Amino acid sequence: MELFRFNHYVAYALLFSPVNDPGQIKKRIIDAARATGSEGEEEREAVNFSFIDASLITSRLHLETAIHQAIIAESQGSLRTKTVHSEILFGLNPTNNITEAIRRYGVSETSKALLVVRITDSSNAISNLETKMKEVVSGIAVPFEELSKVTDWEKIEKYHKLPNEVTEKADVARARALIDNVAVSSVAMKSVVQ
Amino acid sequence: MTISISQSLIQSSLPISQGAEAKVYKAQLTPDSPPILLKYRFQKNYRHPFLDANLTRSRIAGEARALLKCLRSGINVPGIRMVDATEGVLGIEWIEGHSVRKLLPGGAEDDGSDDVDNVDVIDSVNLNEYGVSVDELMKLIGVEIAKMHQVDVIHGDLTTSNMILRQPGSFVPPQNHDIKTALVLIDFGLSYQSTLAEDKAVDLYVLERAFSSTHPDSEPMFAKVLAGYAEIMAGDWPAIKHRLDDVRLRGRKRSMVG
Repeated sequence: MELFRFNHYVAYALLFSPVNDPGQIKKRIIDAARATGSEGEEEREAVNFSFIDASLITSRLHLETAIHQAIIAESQGSLRTKTVHSEILFGLNPTNNITEAIRRYGVSETSKALLVVRITDSSNAISNLETKMKEVVSGIAVPFEELSKVTDWEKIEKYHKLPNEVTEKADVARARALIDNVAVSSVAMKSVVQ
Repeated sequence: MTISISQSLIQSSLPISQGAEAKVYKAQLTPDSPPILLKYRFQKNYRHPFLDANLTRSRIAGEARALLKCLRSGINVPGIRMVDATEGVLGIEWIEGHSVRKLLPGGAEDDGSDDVDNVDVIDSVNLNEYGVSVDELMKLIGVEIAKMHQVDVIHGDLTTSNMILRQPGSFVPPQNHDIKTALVLIDFGLSYQSTLAEDKAVDLYVLERAFSSTHPDSEPMFAKVLAGYAEIMAGDWPAIKHRLDDVRLRGRKRSMVG
């Protein structure tokens, strides 16, 4: 499990690659949102994570920036989506379209690898978090470093409307460094996009 | 929580310098993260709070947009790492290196050192460490400004302090390239977009004045900057050159009002 220790918050991230039956996870999240009563509460708590398509994350810094900006928005009461966890998905998408953000960056039938993230107040430790994540996602939990193996650079370039003369002229390492820097920067400045 | 996330981040970071508009810090979002530079536009008590909040927000937004536009176009600028416009905080990539001002003769004079000769010796050693000559450095400056002007970004405050030579080994250099450093433009706080030759010429003029007031015998150096600039601007150069000659005669302001 990867830890992000911010000043007053901690975020936990677990990478699953490959993941089995992602469509079922998506269905469970949607059903949980619709369920009523105390059962609904319990089910919502069971899926109270951010489920991110790992192939669209360029680096640890990319994820960290998205988490940090979501925490800032939540603390200022300026969330654009319902929860801090969905705010991460919103922040990752370069446009202001929430449905598009969730369709692209959230879990879908075609997700091959997933990042499961939980943000919490640093004073409120959650017990058995890893077990709870594994209960929701059926797949193989792998070390966070495996992220670089699942990154889909072409898709990220497309979503950021990048392929341009600059990325095409550069060698692979440099083009990727540029795409990563643009992706991280775009997440960081999402709150002031026109 | 009584203190905001960004305020708490500032409290745990290292102060670097302070100007009239902002304070600058070196910070880390988490203990495992790379360092970032925080530019904190603190509250100005001489302005109405409402106006102050609006100005701060729009300046941070403007700076972030200019940086992203430059990044996308392959211009060497720091990446953005966090934005909290409500608190007035902009976090950007930490660039390891030295400002061009400190690498050129005369630039280190007001840094609290009284032994100028000694400073010059240390400086020339520094430039060698980067593996570039003064002429090569001037060309790098001209090229980077030209790339920025080609996408119609006007910096607004070009000085040798607002350019950093990256320490070799602190980034991915281009392959098949002899120069293992890069010139990074910083501080887009006064930047704006314009297609006008006038604005580009004034941008260059401001830098020319900064050179001549900071570094002795700057004329041949600045000529090299313009040569590098002209090479990249190609067909657009004659119009800007013409304008630059006009601006030199009359100064930065086109109108004498105000």
